[in-house]
Amino acid sequence: MNVPKQTGEIFDILSRGQFICSNSSRETIRRLYNVLEEHFDELRNYFGAIYFTLERGDEFFYFSRSESKTDLERKIETAYKWIDIMDFFKTFDSAFGPGYRFTPSDILVRLNVDAALKNKIEGLKKYSNDENYAESLRKIVRMLVNDNFIELENEISDSYKALSSFKYLEQLVLSIAIPEEVRSEIPE
Amino acid sequence: MFSFHSIKELINTLNRERDLLSELFEKRRIPFKEEYALELVDFREERLEFLKERGVVRSNGPYIEIDDQFLQFFELILEVNEEINTSYIHESIRQIRENILYYLQESNQGRKYSYLRAVKMSLRKIGRIMLRNVVDLNRNIENTFKTEPTYRVKIAKLENYDRKRQDITALLDQTERLLAEDEQTFFRAALDEELKQITTDLRFLMNESRHNLIEIQKQIIEYLNQIKYQSRVTEKLRQIKYLKDQFELRTRTDIDEVLGRSHSLIFEPNPSYPLKLSLEFLQTDEALQSILRTALKLKAASGTVGLPLADGIGDDYLRAETEREVIINLDELKNGFEASGNHLFGFVMNYTFPREVSFEERITLYCQMVSFYEKDLNVTETFGRHEGLEYAMVYPR
Repeated sequence: MNVPKQTGEIFDILSRGQFICSNSSRETIRRLYNVLEEHFDELRNYFGAIYFTLERGDEFFYFSRSESKTDLERKIETAYKWIDIMDFFKTFDSAFGPGYRFTPSDILVRLNVDAALKNKIEGLKKYSNDENYAESLRKIVRMLVNDNFIELENEISDSYKALSSFKYLEQLVLSIAIPEEVRSEIPE
Repeated sequence: MFSFHSIKELINTLNRERDLLSELFEKRRIPFKEEYALELVDFREERLEFLKERGVVRSNGPYIEIDDQFLQFFELILEVNEEINTSYIHESIRQIRENILYYLQESNQGRKYSYLRAVKMSLRKIGRIMLRNVVDLNRNIENTFKTEPTYRVKIAKLENYDRKRQDITALLDQTERLLAEDEQTFFRAALDEELKQITTDLRFLMNESRHNLIEIQKQIIEYLNQIKYQSRVTEKLRQIKYLKDQFELRTRTDIDEVLGRSHSLIFEPNPSYPLKLSLEFLQTDEALQSILRTALKLKAASGTVGLPLADGIGDDYLRAETEREVIINLDELKNGFEASGNHLFGFVMNYTFPREVSFEERITLYCQMVSFYEKDLNVTETFGRHEGLEYAMVYPR
């Protein structure tokens, strides 16, 4: 089978549950994105042969399997964590989404004047295990970096950027259906 | 209110107060206090009063600002206007139509010429203003989308800009019809080189505006969609978070099903792929280096981390050793004594022990016997003598 020479690199990243995003600030990732875009069909077949499904999202690629290897509980746990974290960042700025840039210090400043935000970071302590807000936030940010939803764009100014893979989370949230009668019970 | 008598007076006034006016113009969006304005006219209130009388500036409470008429004039000339005003173009088109009508009906050449000039002037203006409006619109839309913090205002503003865009498009069509269809007679009759040039320029500008407008339309649609998408996400997230906090998310939504369908690798723990080493590779020189390095590392690790070990226990300590000690059985001695009929001291002195027993020890034994078996023995008041020692005569009872 004829596959591009970057296939190994692509596999390395995707098979670890990471994303390849078009708006990454890393040149190599963008290059891989272009390769994927160009050879999508070949690569989909190729990876399909080793039981990985290459999935195309809006400006990002990721792997799934035909059959899950994790149990539902773990998935729920992960999804809960994401919901909490997303909720926190969306409270910080409702425009938080792919391409959004921020520095942790922006958020820390807002914590002092925004009680709702403060409340939410308290709620995130169960993931960060840290009393200190700055440290807690840093851990949360690192979690998102590790899951490949945001990345460190500038080390000197400590600024982060939300990757297009953040859309994966948004779509996950949108895909959960809330029955009409339940929705009417939720306060505005 | 007085007005200026001549253009000369106006220009002179503006020139004299250029410091104040340029400062006011730069700060037109923020309130400017009248006392600061006084500094800029060298604290001569009459100069400020003069400007107010002529309607150049206006007091607004403690603040002072340029009159709207002048402000618009400056903005228009300097092409910095923020507001998109389509009425101006509308007015120009109306003027053109009127002037064309006069032109066609007028027979006097001189007057005809002046109408033609008016038409040319309006045509020249229309193109520039239209493009200017389009550029402003574009910038405003971008600014609104990126900086407007209030969600509802943002949508309303963008929708308004979209309406403005429609207005401009309509005017563009109107102008185009004017040039191509409605007033064909005029454009053929009054054809001179300059008018031709002007209409060509105008068509060029209109073309550019049209392309820009199409782009703007796309932009607005995309922005509105983005905002709607975002608000949809935010709203949904809020609802889900609420249910989650109420511990109802799993029972009242289909999250289990959604996640059950999703087999993304992102849910899996980070996998590792432990592979066996290639035996062939291990035999190469390259591998040898790695092996040596690893060995060194292991050694170093064991040197620092391993517990300090004691030396082995010597064989000497482990050898079984027996020591013999003959213990004199006092019971046996007593039995022997009872059977002997001798007195105790004589008996102990002559008794054959299993080992060599010295004189001192025999005396100790004698004393031990007396104290242990005091009840079985009869210690008499008679004393015997032996080598300078006096001892009590003891018999069995």
